Order: sequence, then structure tokens, then C-alpha cells
Amino acid sequence: MIVAENVHVHFRRGLLGEPIRALDGLNLEVREGDFFGLVGQNGAGKSTAMYCFLGLLRPTTGSVRVMGAIPEIGSKLYNGVAYLPEEPHYHLYLTVEEATRYYASLYGKPVPQKLIDEALERMDLVQFKTLPLSKCSKGMKQKVGLAQCLIHETRLLFLDEPTRGIDPVVVLMIRDALRDLHRRGATIVMNSHVLSEMEMLANRVAIIERGKVIVQDELKNLTKLDQDLYKVAFESGGALPDYFTLEERRDGVAAGTVPAARLYEFIEYTRESGLRLLECSLKKATLEESFLKILRGDKDLNQIHQS
Amino acid sequence: MMSELLKANLVAHFAYYRRSRLLLAFGLVFLFLTLVFSLPAFILSSHVQAFSVLQRIFSELNGLLILFSAGLGLFIISSHLRARNLKMVFTKPCPPAVWLGSVFLSAVLVSLMINLVILVLALEVSLVCRMRVVGGLFYTSADTFAASVGLIAYLMFLAIVMHPVIAVVFAVIFSSGTFYTALTWTQAAIEAGSKSAALRVLKNVFYFFYMLLPMNHAFAKESERIEASLRVSRGEWHYAFYSLGYALALSALCYGLSLFLLQKKRLI
Repeated sequence: MIVAENVHVHFRRGLLGEPIRALDGLNLEVREGDFFGLVGQNGAGKSTAMYCFLGLLRPTTGSVRVMGAIPEIGSKLYNGVAYLPEEPHYHLYLTVEEATRYYASLYGKPVPQKLIDEALERMDLVQFKTLPLSKCSKGMKQKVGLAQCLIHETRLLFLDEPTRGIDPVVVLMIRDALRDLHRRGATIVMNSHVLSEMEMLANRVAIIERGKVIVQDELKNLTKLDQDLYKVAFESGGALPDYFTLEERRDGVAAGTVPAARLYEFIEYTRESGLRLLECSLKKATLEESFLKILRGDKDLNQIHQS
Repeated sequence: MMSELLKANLVAHFAYYRRSRLLLAFGLVFLFLTLVFSLPAFILSSHVQAFSVLQRIFSELNGLLILFSAGLGLFIISSHLRARNLKMVFTKPCPPAVWLGSVFLSAVLVSLMINLVILVLALEVSLVCRMRVVGGLFYTSADTFAASVGLIAYLMFLAIVMHPVIAVVFAVIFSSGTFYTALTWTQAAIEAGSKSAALRVLKNVFYFFYMLLPMNHAFAKESERIEASLRVSRGEWHYAFYSLGYALALSALCYGLSLFLLQKKRLI
């Protein structure tokens, strides 16, 4: 669906033309049907990568192909493509209904009123349809952006931090709409800092750091990196074994991790010491933990690529 | 598909014009001046005095219309660029050429509508005051419309290239009129016997800019004369068509340049 090969985007900033490498050899592949997450720190190049996929920025060198074509703004390639920007850069002088109709009409086909009404109803915007976008909250504007995706058959949807600064109720509604679109076959590419959300929605994730993809894999592979660890909790009063990594100690209960290779030794230790074992399960890393470990270089990236 | 895109964009642009507070303020001033200027024509008993007032009102309103039209082109482009909402348009199958064309067309249609309102008002005043309807009213309207079309396109182009305030300053100071005045001064100095080489170079520089920069009125002398008397002979009508031709050629040039620059512009 999207193939980016060795993409470099260089800017010059300020009077002296200080060079900035927004993307520095980005390689990435999004397959059809993916819910693809782009994660990374601020300034890592996630939004720049998305702008390149959308044709809003041309790579300095390298190539980007979206559905087999080089993205050019306003081209026919965008039939079936939708984009929700991070900041509410909408036509603020239009009302909710007018904006929904306008964005839907930009696909060059007549939009029946019934479809607009249904989309507004689906996004719970009916009572606000005459409200100008300039007076809408960010969440409402994002719902307008999603409403247009529901009108047309969206094949590829780009979302730049769609739930940032939005209240939890609207976030749930947006997530539901995204899941629905994904179920209907849309490929979704999403930038987000909310890694727990990415974990809930995405099936593949790329971690971008300093303009490069440092890891690109199935989410399930990224979140099973710590299968060599067991999460344990037991009654403890005295000294702890040296291979046990303490995470929390409260009310006489110690919680932490034990390497899988020493699990039997640990169980033996608790039995011999007469300590009650309260929890013992294979530790599954969250995306957040994996992300932080990868950024800190704690994990061998080859191990991830091979998994 | 193109007609649907054009229609969708035109509807959005008309909503912009309706709701822009800046344009609303400009429109209200326009309406106020129209009312104030129209009153004397109804009160004055002498046909000669009434005709003189009508001529002045008509001339001033048309002058305001040209300014207003230029503002339409400037405001709509600069506000969309500043709001950075074009990425919502161009990440859909709507080519920049269609969007830009729709902006130009919408501004021209609004300008034409106001132009017709002014003409109808002038005709009504003529009829109410029992004055003869003169051809100069139609000529001046057509000439004003041509000037508005050219200025809309020119200000649209400037709004894409630079900040709107700088665009206004540029349009006012770096106009063909400024360089024409400078050209006549240097010409006069040379004819008075100055042998300065620098003056001759300056004359060529002024001439170059005079030719390069667009004119508000392609046939300013003829138009001014007709506007002053509101009388037009059959042989003078072609100036209005030439003016329109000039405006359309200027618009095509500005449109092409604007489109090229818009596609190069970083819209993120």
C-alpha cells in the first residue's frame, strides 16, 4: 500500500539556513489492510513521514509510493484516501454540516443529503450541524473529519495524533469509528504518542527515531520481547534472591521479575523459605516498555527483526 | 467530476465571503458611502447639479469596487494559506488548478454582482431624477469590471508569494503608475538637456518596470475622460473590450504563476 525507500527530507531553517534532517533514510512498508502505527519522540519525523506519504512534502532524495503511484497533491490517487490533521486545520468558517458536505464533495461525486445525515448521526454531531467549526471543540472537529471518511469508501486513512487533547468520551467514539473503518477494509496509518492506544488499535508498528525507522514489526512481536522474564509477587520479609528484580514492596508483598531460566530455582526458594507465592506469570511487555527499551538501546534490535 | 469540484469549492468560497468579518466591514462601509453619496442626487433640483453628483458618486463607487475586488482576491488566498486548511483540500482528488480557478471565479462573480448593483443604482438615480441614461455608465461599469478582474488575479498571485500586508504595500507602491510617473520625470530631465548616463539607465529601468507591472486600467486616459463626462461615442467602445482582453491576459498569466507557486509551496 505504501512503500518508502531511503527517504531523506532536508530543510534549511533561519537566516543562516541551518540544515535540518527531518527524515534521514526512512524505509517503511505499510501493507494493505494494516492498522499501522507510527511512534516516536517529538521531532522524530513521524509527521514529516506522513506529509511525504500524502504528497504534501517531496522527499529531498528517495522514493515514496502510495498504492503504486508517487503521491501528487490533488491527484486521482486520493480517490479513497482521507486525512485527519493533528491541528484542527479545517475550514473554520463553515458549519459542521457544510464542512462535512464540502470535504465529501471534494471527491468529485454528488453527495446525497441522506449520507451526510447518517455520517453526522454516527458521529453524534446532528445537534451541532449548524454550529460553525470555529466554535467547535477539537474533538468535534476531529469527528467532522471522520464523518467524511464514513461517507465515502475510504481505502487509506492517515491520522496525525487524532486523539490528542480530546476528552475520553470522544476518544472512545473515534476509536470505535476507526475500528469500524478498519473492519470494513480500510488501511489506516496513525501517528500517536499515546502508546496504550496504539496497542489497542494497531497491528503493525514502526518506531521512528531521528528520521529513521529503527524498528518495524507486528505489534505482537514488539510486545513479547520480555518472554524471557516472569512477573512474580510473593510474601517476603527478609533478604531477596540476587536474581530477583524488585519493582514494588508493600504490606509484606514483594513484586518484581525473575529470569525464566531461574524460575524453578525461585520456586524452590519460596517453598524452602515458606513464603507464599501470590502471582507468577509470563511477563508481557507493553508497547510503552518496548518502545522505551528500544530507544534506550536495551534490546538487541536484531532480536526484534528476527522475531 | 470537475464541475462537481468547482461547484463544491464555489459554495465554500461564497460561504467565506458571507462570513468574513473583514469583508463584512468593508461591505458596510461601501453601503454607507453609497447611501450618503446617493442622497444629494435625490435632493438637488437642477438636472446639471444632479448629473454632476451622479457622475461623482458613480466614479467613487467604482473606485471603491476596484479596491474591494482586489481585497477579495487577497483575503481569500491569504486566509486559507494562514489557516493551513488547504491540506484538507489537496489530500483529496481536487487538483490545485481547480481550487485556484474556483477562488478566482468566485471573486470575479462577487465583483460582477456588486458592479451590476452599482450600475442599477446609477440607472435608477438617473430615472428618478429624470436624467437621460448615458452610455458612459455602461462603459465605466465594463471598464471597472475589467480592472477588477485583473486586480483580483494580481492580488491573488501576490498573496501566494508574500504576506498580505506586504502584498498590499507592494501593489500600491510598485505599481505601473509609480514607474510611469518616474519615467516621465526622467524623460523630462533628459529632454531638458541632462546628459547624465545614470539618468538614461534609470529611464530604462523605470520603463522596464512600467512594462512589467500590471496596469489597473489598460486605457486609463480614455477611461478617465469617459468617466468624467459619462459620454461615450460608438468608436470608443472598443477600449472597454481591449481593457477586458488585457485583464483576461493578465489573469491568465497570474493564474499560471500562482498555480506554479502554490504547487511548490509547503502547505503543511
